[in-house]
Amino acid sequence: MTMPLDQIPTVMPTTNRPQNAGASLDDDASRLDAVAKVTGQAVYGRDRYLTNGIYAAFLRCPYGVATLESYDELAAKAVPGVLEVEITGKDGQYHGHTLGHVAGDSPTAVWRGLRALAPKWKKGTVTTQISDSPLDVPERNDKTKELLAAADHLLEAEYSTEVQIHACLETHGMAIDHKGDSAICYSSTQGTFAATDGLEEAIGLPRSKYEVVCEYVGGGFGSKLNGAGKEGVLAAKLAAKYKRPAYCFVDREGDQLDTGNRPSALAKVAIGFKKDGTILGGQVRLWGGVGVGRGGGGMAFPSGRYAFGELQRDHSDVRMNAGAPRAFRAPGHPQGAFIEELVIDEIATIAGIDPLAYRLTLDRDEDRREMMRLGAQSIGWDKRQPTGSQKGVIRRGFGMGTTTWGGGASQAECEVVIARDGSIEARTGTQDIGTGQRSTMGIIPATVLSVPLAMVTVRIGHSTLPVGPGSGGSTTTPSTAPVMQAAAEDARKQLLAAIANLQGGDSSEFDLKDGQVLRGGKPLLSWKDACAKIGGEQIVGRGKSVRGQGGKGHSHGVQFVELAVDTETGVVRVERIVAYQSCGKAIARKLAESQVIGAVIQGLSFALFEERVLDRNLGSMLNANLEMYRIAGTLDMPRIEPVLWRRGQVGHKSLGEPPTIPTAGAIACALFNALGTPVRSLPLTPHKVLAALAASQKLSNSTPASAPGGAS
Amino acid sequence: MKSFAIAKPRDYQQAATLLKDERFSLPVLKAGGIDLVDHLKEGLLAPDLLIDVKRLPAEANRPPVARDGDRIRIEASATLADLVESKVLASAAPVVPASVESAATPSIRNVATAAGNLLQRPRCWYYRGDQFHCLKKGGATCFAQDGENRYHAIFGDGPCHIVHPSNLAPALWVCDGWVHLTGGKREKLAIADLYHLPDRGLRDEHNLKPGEVVTHLSIVPAQRSGFYAVKEKQSFDWPLVFAAAALTLDGTTIRAAQVCAGAVAPTPWPLGAVEEALVGVSLDDDAALRAACAKATAGAVPMSHNAYKVQLLPVAVRRAVLRAAGRTTEP
Repeated sequence: MTMPLDQIPTVMPTTNRPQNAGASLDDDASRLDAVAKVTGQAVYGRDRYLTNGIYAAFLRCPYGVATLESYDELAAKAVPGVLEVEITGKDGQYHGHTLGHVAGDSPTAVWRGLRALAPKWKKGTVTTQISDSPLDVPERNDKTKELLAAADHLLEAEYSTEVQIHACLETHGMAIDHKGDSAICYSSTQGTFAATDGLEEAIGLPRSKYEVVCEYVGGGFGSKLNGAGKEGVLAAKLAAKYKRPAYCFVDREGDQLDTGNRPSALAKVAIGFKKDGTILGGQVRLWGGVGVGRGGGGMAFPSGRYAFGELQRDHSDVRMNAGAPRAFRAPGHPQGAFIEELVIDEIATIAGIDPLAYRLTLDRDEDRREMMRLGAQSIGWDKRQPTGSQKGVIRRGFGMGTTTWGGGASQAECEVVIARDGSIEARTGTQDIGTGQRSTMGIIPATVLSVPLAMVTVRIGHSTLPVGPGSGGSTTTPSTAPVMQAAAEDARKQLLAAIANLQGGDSSEFDLKDGQVLRGGKPLLSWKDACAKIGGEQIVGRGKSVRGQGGKGHSHGVQFVELAVDTETGVVRVERIVAYQSCGKAIARKLAESQVIGAVIQGLSFALFEERVLDRNLGSMLNANLEMYRIAGTLDMPRIEPVLWRRGQVGHKSLGEPPTIPTAGAIACALFNALGTPVRSLPLTPHKVLAALAASQKLSNSTPASAPGGAS
Repeated sequence: MKSFAIAKPRDYQQAATLLKDERFSLPVLKAGGIDLVDHLKEGLLAPDLLIDVKRLPAEANRPPVARDGDRIRIEASATLADLVESKVLASAAPVVPASVESAATPSIRNVATAAGNLLQRPRCWYYRGDQFHCLKKGGATCFAQDGENRYHAIFGDGPCHIVHPSNLAPALWVCDGWVHLTGGKREKLAIADLYHLPDRGLRDEHNLKPGEVVTHLSIVPAQRSGFYAVKEKQSFDWPLVFAAAALTLDGTTIRAAQVCAGAVAPTPWPLGAVEEALVGVSLDDDAALRAACAKATAGAVPMSHNAYKVQLLPVAVRRAVLRAAGRTTEP
């Protein structure tokens, strides 16, 4: 199994998902940077340990609330290699709150300096969860009262989700190679062109004198859209002050504590419905747990995909002593969908309707209804037992959920350069945070010019390249793909015109096919020979969009889950997930499938495992690492079957976020189906499963005839 | 981190001598280094000498696992992967490989050693966080008592409520395991005597004396032995509760049983009441088997958020017994 690196093909045919054959521009292309990434050849910002660099780390509040009472600045400064110690504040409002920094000649010197600082803290009283604050439910208005009075049944229940951390493999930060009158900023960012926001003052150079490089970015999920961030600003200040390279990437603990999260959610719902399942409406009261943040705790419930009648809806963000949220892959949606899908399954169960049949009546979108019918066949919905009917130790459950995404597009420019030696460069400044952007930017010109993908060198992740959007809102591909297509077509047109000029005739007589120039459908010149005839040094094809242009329609999908739950241990094992997802015309089948699979995994992990655990007394995060902060691992993986939906799909639409929306809800529904009692709180851990079973046992012992799910 | 010297001793005797070397204020043994590096990074330990014993048995050309008279000898530096791959253990003491086959990750199992697993420190998140000056670190408070104790002990009476993290120790316990020592007066110590509860010392969990070094382990064969762990996550996670069992069978009737649980107490937790109750029970009589395993919870005192462990323990014990008997655990 030793294959020289340069012989590992970038194109590998795969036939493991025949349902997706022909779904994309290039079905067989593999990720262009796969080999570089798995061999360590890919250099990330965090890998830029620059010669003669200064390193910096923050002094962080170790408790939810604490005042810095004293510290030994002299001792810290006396540590060999420590250059400066700066305390910028004394009132820590959350664990991880930065109150100063130590900078020095090496990471070790900085680490020793921070320890020598020996800060003494006076701890204060903390709040760590939504329910630590008073939770008022507004009085029901007349309309709500009327609807609920007219209902045959009332579902009155409380749902909650925990804080999920982005946990990017590459932590947040920036390394700045300051050369005195210019600088290169190696950033781990989701926005090449926004990565320097906030840096202007600190770096002490005009914007034209520094560039951003982010050729490889180790994950973002929304948490790397905040400009330079405090890490970049500190690196810039140090670089400018000492006229040396400076490095400030946070450690894992700092990353877990203080670089954003998906906020927690709490919902109290009272929904009235008729015997036949028709939802009249009711009241939903929602709270988002935003730590010290000033907002961002909203959730997409109701989503608008289902007929929920008329809802009296109120939302509040609740502050507490914890790190603030940042955008997280479909902000507000997975937690909203969890509530929504489980509410629907609970209503269906009380009404005695199959949840699939029920959704087919609640959701009026014809594409999704068709996905529901096909997905039900794929998962084997006919094997589903009625909710609450199983008595064994191991019980099986089936569940489903839906997703939609608005999409859109923003400003992008691309270039396709053909050199006289036949080599091709695709250029755009956007970043690849793991989505496959580098690959899609190569596949498009390779397809338009009908040459092997290996002939295209893709240049991305530099602010000196043509401008492109940040990776937010799942708009990178919808924004750049049409523009790269236009650039490639422009290059093609120029090349054919040059050949027509030399050969005589009209350029419409010429065509490019499989690395050859055709005339009248017959081979005329090889690609290489044709390019050698280019007048001047090279051809530059250009494409450009403007803000607000492009982006039509939306992405949507339906997911189905099959799982088994062990009712003696409470352990949930998800076995299969079928994910129908539309994204317009996919560019690379394997990468599109990979986006769906990754989104499903993140949704599964949110459903079963992930939780920021704060000490209720001191507010410290107890699992600010990747050991006790649980993320789904290899043995937790179900078989995931992505199906790229093609009917009626044109253009390139969003794919990054939409497939992570329905997974947690579908899993919760499948668990409800298996157990006969809902677990209304994520993550669905063994102790919650056992507690729900025990509570339902109690309920059925005392009131044998009551409806399942605690409904009245 | 603090600078330290590294010593590469010729043999365990020399390692033991280095442990007593007065030129160093805190010499520590380094084998796989997994838990040691965690301690260095967290600032929980600042040794000035690391004594590298990782490669010692290899130099003596000893296999990691081998039969040794009527016992099986396991080198202190055998990796967890060595235990999983051992043909001797697979047939003669399946509980041992079963106890570590899904511990941590493959890359950790390739490095972590048997003795290191036995002597690793607790994973209690208060112990591991340097902002908590807990009992184990000389403080006056167990932060788990009124805090986040979902993963803490249901036995042991405190005052520290850690659970011992070793998967291997209960497995060796049911195989009459010993640790073999050099550097002190004792030649060996039973696994059953290796650990102490917090009331007999908070700073450590084991009964080794200063200067004593584990050279190898030994067990008696236990062909009818099995292990069961309940884990939240199946990859890279610490079990919520686990159990190891070894049986002597007469047909389908249990004649004798050794049962030891883990992740429920500050030490591996032997279940004598279960062992007694299992004698005479037929594996085909599930009601009797369940009744015997239910005795596992006798004396359990759950904390505010870990009562579920009381529910899980008899389940893990019964399944370990069924696995020991070569039966499937799930109906």
